[in-house]
Amino acid sequence: MTGPRHSSDLDALLRQVAHHDADAFAVLYDHTRARVYGLVARVLRDSGYSEETTQEVYLEVWRTADAFDSAKGSALSWLMTMAHRRAVDRVRAEQAATARESRYGAAAVDPASDVVAESALAADERRRVAECLDGLTDVQRQCIEMAYYGGLTYTEVSQRLSANLSTIKSRMRDALRGLRNCLGVP
Amino acid sequence: MTEPTDFELLELATPYALHAVSDAERAVIDRQLAAAPPSVAEAFREEVRAVCETMTAVSAATAAEPPTRLRTAVLATVQPDTGRRSRWRTALLAAAAAIVVGLAAFGAGIALRPSSKPSMAEQIMAAPDVRTVSGQLAGGTATVMFSRDRDAGVLVMNNVPPPSQGTVYQMWLLGDKGPTSAGTMNTAAVAPSTTDILTNLGSSSALAFTVEPGTGSPQPTGKILAKLALR
Repeated sequence: MTGPRHSSDLDALLRQVAHHDADAFAVLYDHTRARVYGLVARVLRDSGYSEETTQEVYLEVWRTADAFDSAKGSALSWLMTMAHRRAVDRVRAEQAATARESRYGAAAVDPASDVVAESALAADERRRVAECLDGLTDVQRQCIEMAYYGGLTYTEVSQRLSANLSTIKSRMRDALRGLRNCLGVP
Repeated sequence: MTEPTDFELLELATPYALHAVSDAERAVIDRQLAAAPPSVAEAFREEVRAVCETMTAVSAATAAEPPTRLRTAVLATVQPDTGRRSRWRTALLAAAAAIVVGLAAFGAGIALRPSSKPSMAEQIMAAPDVRTVSGQLAGGTATVMFSRDRDAGVLVMNNVPPPSQGTVYQMWLLGDKGPTSAGTMNTAAVAPSTTDILTNLGSSSALAFTVEPGTGSPQPTGKILAKLALR
C-alpha cells in the first residue's frame, strides 16, 4: 500500500474502471483502501459495519465510475465523498434502529483512530493535517467532529450545543476555510 | 414556507458538502439550486467542491488499513461483462492469491468456480437498492450482496473450511413460511473463495447456513451455523 497516487493517475484508473477493467479496479482499491476504510471506520466505529460499508462504496465505484467528471473535482475527492455519504447514511440508519440501546451515543465521539504502520510520506501528510486541525478554534473543531465524524446534521449540532443555527453554519464554514488555507487546497 | 435568499442558500453549501443535512433538507436544497440564478448555483457548487477536496486532504489523518479479507471480498464480487471471461478470471485469481497467503494447505490446490450466471451478479450489483451483509461462518466469512428489486443476491464465502466428508453446507432463506432451501455446497465446491447466486429471495428476512447429511435435506436438521439478516 503506497497511499493515493498522483491525482491524474487515479483519474486514469477510474476511466479504466468505467470500462469494467477488473485489474485497474484492483489497483485503484489498493491505492485508496486505507483512506476509504479509515474514514468509514472513523464514522461507524464498528469493524463489521465498516467492512460492509467499504464494500458497498467500492461496488458503487465499480458501477458508477463512468459518472466521474475530472472537470468537477479530483478522483480521490469523488471517491471519499461517496465513502463519507455512505458512512453517514449507515450511521444514521443504525442510530434510528438502535436508538434505545444507545449503541451510538453521538455525543461520545472517539478521538483520533488507531494509527497503523505507514510510510514516511503518509506520516508526514498526517502530521500536517493534525497541525491544521490544531489551528482551528475548539468550537470549530467540535462542529467538524460532531457533523463530519459523528454524522449529525447541523440542526442536531446546534441543538446539542445550544447554539443558534447561523452560529453553527458560520463555525462550519470558517472551520473549512481555515483547513483549506492551511492545507493549500486549490 | 418563505423562499430563502440566495445568501441563505449559499450558507448551506458547507453543511450540504459535509453531509450534515437531513435527506429531506438535501432534497429541498437540490430543488432550490435548480431554480437559483446560474451564478448562485455555480458559487454553491464551487463551495461544495472546495469542501470535498479539503476533507479529502483531511482524510490522510484517519487512514487505516482494512483487513485483507475485505480485498478478497471486494475483488471477488466485481465481475466484468460477459464475454470478458479472462478479466473476470484475473480478478478471481488475484482474489484467490490474496487468501492463499498463509494457508497451510496450499498444496491442496484452489478450485476456482466462476459463477455460472455472471449476468445476474452484474444485475444485482447494478441495482440501486443493493445491500451488503456479512458474518462469520465456521471460521471464515460469508458475505451476501443482495437486491430486493432483482429478487436475488450474490453469496461470497471466504476462508470457509469445507464441510466434513458425506455432508454439505446448505443455505436456507428464512421467511414467514419457514425455511426454504437456497442450495448446497459440497466439499469440492467450498474453495477458499466461493461465489454463488441466490434467487427468489421473496420476502425472506435472513439467510441461514446448516450442515446437512448427504446431498442436503428438505428442511434443516443441523443447527444454524450462521444467520445473515437480509434487511
